[in-house]
Amino acid sequence: MASSQLPNYLRAHRKRLGLSQDEVAYLLGAKSGTKTSRYERFVREPGFRSALACEAVFQRPIRELFAGLYGQIERDVAGRAKQLVLRSDRMKSGRQTARKRETLQRIAAMDFKRAQSQ
Amino acid sequence: MTNQNRRRKELILAIAPSSRGFGFAVLEGGKTLVDWGVKSVTGDKNVVTLKKAERMVADYNPSVLVLNDAAARDSRRSRRVQELTKKIIAMASTGKVKVALLSRNQVMRAFFADGRGTKHAVARLLAKRFPEELGHRLPPKRKPWVSEDYRMGIFDAVALAVSHFLYWRG
Repeated sequence: MASSQLPNYLRAHRKRLGLSQDEVAYLLGAKSGTKTSRYERFVREPGFRSALACEAVFQRPIRELFAGLYGQIERDVAGRAKQLVLRSDRMKSGRQTARKRETLQRIAAMDFKRAQSQ
Repeated sequence: MTNQNRRRKELILAIAPSSRGFGFAVLEGGKTLVDWGVKSVTGDKNVVTLKKAERMVADYNPSVLVLNDAAARDSRRSRRVQELTKKIIAMASTGKVKVALLSRNQVMRAFFADGRGTKHAVARLLAKRFPEELGHRLPPKRKPWVSEDYRMGIFDAVALAVSHFLYWRG
């Protein structure tokens, strides 16, 4: 079974708006449509400024435009949060530690919730 | 992930070869069109089409590749397209991509209960189903003396993808 979500949905959004790759590249501040093509074919990931520019162009949140990539990053963050939860078990108990643990547990459960909602 | 969720996220790539090139559609979860369009090819059409199809398979890594069954009894596809279909199937099998073949009758039955309909009627239904993506690409109804609009390739491919999803869903 292939991955459930594509790294990004830039091409679909661009086509829906009737824009060409060159036009999107111009809006993103790039020199040519080659860069847009590379983003769309998942060959290259845009930098932070370009990703924000994509949000401005397509009027969709980054997490929706780059759904697959976001999911992957979210899973990684959740995994690291689980590690921190384990580490926090060894910390002295107190109000701040309890609050921290609660936050980390919420982050750790993020990818599970997302998988359920999909 | 439940069975229902797996089904919803299936990525279907449909390729509909034509006399000028091919139409293609990528459908995610039966509801979202991720990519669609027509590609024209010149020169050795089968070689170029095969290369482009190979690149699409590599880019999207689909769960299934849907093609028109050119060898079906009711098929009236040219020998070139029949050969091309065989080559695309072979390419997909080497890439371990599942292939589904649908005949024209199967596609029509997916859209009309009695299986009687025209390509234009199917295209109209699809334009209604995907208004943002296909609404503005619906060609006018073809006159008998006019050759088919190149944009019909898109609708042929989307029809294959949607039919496969409907059959698969049962």
